[in-house]
Amino acid sequence: MSSNLGVCNSSFWHKILEPQPLAFSSQAKLSKVLGQMTSEPEHGCVLALHRRKVVGIATRQDLLQAMVQHRDGPQLRLSQVVTRPVITVSHADLNDVAPLLEQFARHRISYLPIVDDQQHLLGLINKIDLLQTIQDQRTTVQLRRQHERFQLFAEITLKIRQSLQLKEIFHTTVNEVQRLLNADRVLIYQVLPDGTGQPISESVVAPYPAILGYSFPEEVFPEDYQTLYAQGRVLAIADVHAPESGLADCLVEFIKQWGIQSKLIVPIVHPLQPEQSVGDEPLRNQLWGLLIAHQCRSPRQWTEFELELMQQLADQISIALSQGQMLEYLEDRVKLRTAELTQANWALHQEIQERKQIEVALRQSEEQLRLITNNLPVLIAYVDDQQRYRFNNQAYEYWLGQTPEAIYGMSMEALMGVAYYQAIQSYIETVLAGTQVTYESELTFKEGRSHSVSVTYIPHIEKGGGDRPPQVKGFFALTMDISDRKAIERMKDEFIAVVSHELRTPLTSLHGSLKLIATGRLGHLSEEGQQMLDVADENTDRLVRLVNNVLDLQRIESGEVTMDAHRCDAADLIVQAAESMQAIARQQGIEIHTRLDSIAIWADPDYIVQALTNLIGNAIKFSTPGDGINVTIQPYFESALPPRLSNAAFHHRPSLPAMALFCVQDQGQGIPSDKLNSIFERFQQVDSSDSRKKGGTGLGLTICRKIVEQHGGQIWAESQMGVGSCFYFTVPLIPPSTT
Amino acid sequence: MTLKRVLVVDDEASIQKVVSLSLKMEANWDILTASSGEEGISQAEIHAPDVILLDVMMPEMDGIATFEALCNNPRTQAIPVVLLTAKTRTAEKRLFQKIGVSGVITKPFNPLTLASQIADLLDWPL
Repeated sequence: MSSNLGVCNSSFWHKILEPQPLAFSSQAKLSKVLGQMTSEPEHGCVLALHRRKVVGIATRQDLLQAMVQHRDGPQLRLSQVVTRPVITVSHADLNDVAPLLEQFARHRISYLPIVDDQQHLLGLINKIDLLQTIQDQRTTVQLRRQHERFQLFAEITLKIRQSLQLKEIFHTTVNEVQRLLNADRVLIYQVLPDGTGQPISESVVAPYPAILGYSFPEEVFPEDYQTLYAQGRVLAIADVHAPESGLADCLVEFIKQWGIQSKLIVPIVHPLQPEQSVGDEPLRNQLWGLLIAHQCRSPRQWTEFELELMQQLADQISIALSQGQMLEYLEDRVKLRTAELTQANWALHQEIQERKQIEVALRQSEEQLRLITNNLPVLIAYVDDQQRYRFNNQAYEYWLGQTPEAIYGMSMEALMGVAYYQAIQSYIETVLAGTQVTYESELTFKEGRSHSVSVTYIPHIEKGGGDRPPQVKGFFALTMDISDRKAIERMKDEFIAVVSHELRTPLTSLHGSLKLIATGRLGHLSEEGQQMLDVADENTDRLVRLVNNVLDLQRIESGEVTMDAHRCDAADLIVQAAESMQAIARQQGIEIHTRLDSIAIWADPDYIVQALTNLIGNAIKFSTPGDGINVTIQPYFESALPPRLSNAAFHHRPSLPAMALFCVQDQGQGIPSDKLNSIFERFQQVDSSDSRKKGGTGLGLTICRKIVEQHGGQIWAESQMGVGSCFYFTVPLIPPSTT
Repeated sequence: MTLKRVLVVDDEASIQKVVSLSLKMEANWDILTASSGEEGISQAEIHAPDVILLDVMMPEMDGIATFEALCNNPRTQAIPVVLLTAKTRTAEKRLFQKIGVSGVITKPFNPLTLASQIADLLDWPL
């Protein structure tokens, strides 16, 4: 029996003492006593009293036995069946339960009456009740202690877990264990992988020396010890000097320097990390270190509770180690992630900076473009495929009185007005079909004056991708005020017309007079005089042609005249031209041959005759006596092109609708290939001396080209040096509008 | 060749002389001259020429106005008129033909063929 259960307080006795046991006078009849016991079954015995003193005791069983054994049992007196003398206990002895239990055991009795100093009955103690109460008391104490341990353990655990820092956890653990066990030294010893070790945290009371700071060689803690501890060994040594401690003498001698008398060692183990396991070996515990308590002042018997507490705290340290490793891992991850995020943030910052710089550059570029577009004396607009304005420069306000903001989103029809829009609608349709177009028109400015403008529409084509075809998203519209240029052109045209006309009058007189003198009918000149007259006559002819050509060209280019095209027979036009040149050709000993097919063409006959006449005249100039000139006409389709025209010199010739092809072929000296295009430019001749030698004006082929282009045809030349040249031109077979 | 009387109306005296000499030499026609539209009309009324060669570009009363006046004058309206002009383009020629002239000869003309050109226009035998 534990000593702390022996001495009991008054409440204990109050709990087990029955204060009013069943008691009768010793002379009471058994019938009466049994009747009373029957009505009060909780009483297991009855006491016999005489003058308030206990003189006997009988159990229920004793009474029943007497009743059975005696015929007149009910008449028996209580004194006849009770046991006497009665074993009693004085009230003054009720301090410890041990004497009571000894009485119960020695006398093999179940009840003990409690009496005062006068032997008067105070109560009764039932052996079973006593034992039950003692048992209850012991259980309660155990539970309380267990509760206290839990509470204590919880408090220490809470303190340990208030930190995730291992150093702080170790420090708290050693301090709390030292305080709780009232030990002289508590330390945490770490076992290193090479078998050596060192204390890493310590709590020690004065005057005992600290172990912290020492390193211990492997010999102090051999590998087989490590294995035992790793398996959970706990070592409690009450006296290190006692032989049963099992410590080697050298070790006892070694630890003497720290005054250790007694020690308690529990291992700190925790599972190996996955990366520390070998192959498929299941996870096993690794000895990380030891939690050690020392008693220095005297030897000490370590209790179960103390062992248990140390073990549980070692487990807590193990958990803390795992958590610490996890924390360390998480911190590493956080650091890594933070570094990554910092880097990503830096990269993002860089990108944002770059984008800002690009945006600034774009804004500057846009500002510059806007500055340029707003200061150009040109209307600049972007129109989407729904014919709505999406950009206009400031010139719209200066010229038309409409701000770009007001125009944005407005339809072209709304801005320009219905009549103007209808006039330009075909050009809009053309550009929205993907073709650049330029036209001239009259536009009324905000001051009410009409201005001549040149308008160019450039399609905005988005490139296709995959199966998607290119798409016209809109177009750029550039409108230039050409009023001044037009005025200058008109002045120039008028000037040329006046000058040309004023030249013609004296020329007519000069030309006529020379012709008449040259007949000789107005008198004969000397031979030299005649030669000079011929020179004057020829150059007057040339001057007349030049004036005529200048006037013709000016009129065609200025648009003063338009081709009055109608259906006519190409063969008739060739005949007219050939006949008009026949006399001159014969004078040069040159034959003009025509191959005539009746082909209806759509042309202005006067101008086509003029073009043919120019070409035939050219052919005559560059032919030598005996040569022939062929003038032909044939329908012209791409496939009908004569083979010799298909050479590289004409690869750029456009594909044309059904046309009539005129050809004037000579057998002259030929034209170098690099001159074949330039000869159609004004005053461009194969040899600059030609114009003087041949009496040309340098404008004949230019006029031919203008005439042909006005008809919607093309003109070109082909030549072989020393063989001859062919001049071709085409005119439409049928009205262009019906194509 | 039938003797014809031709009235040349031109404000340029040199043209008058060249035309007169040319027609005299080539066709031996009788030539009258006038230096303005008004004088031309007056001469035509007096001499009733077989043809009037009328310059178009003249100050004050130009050739077109003179022609209209001749047409409106019963005494001269039957006289054929051939215009002598530096204006030679198609549109102008059509305009001249529309108003009823007998022909248009462009300047500068060839003096050696001028008479035959006039005879062709008027169907005169040469």
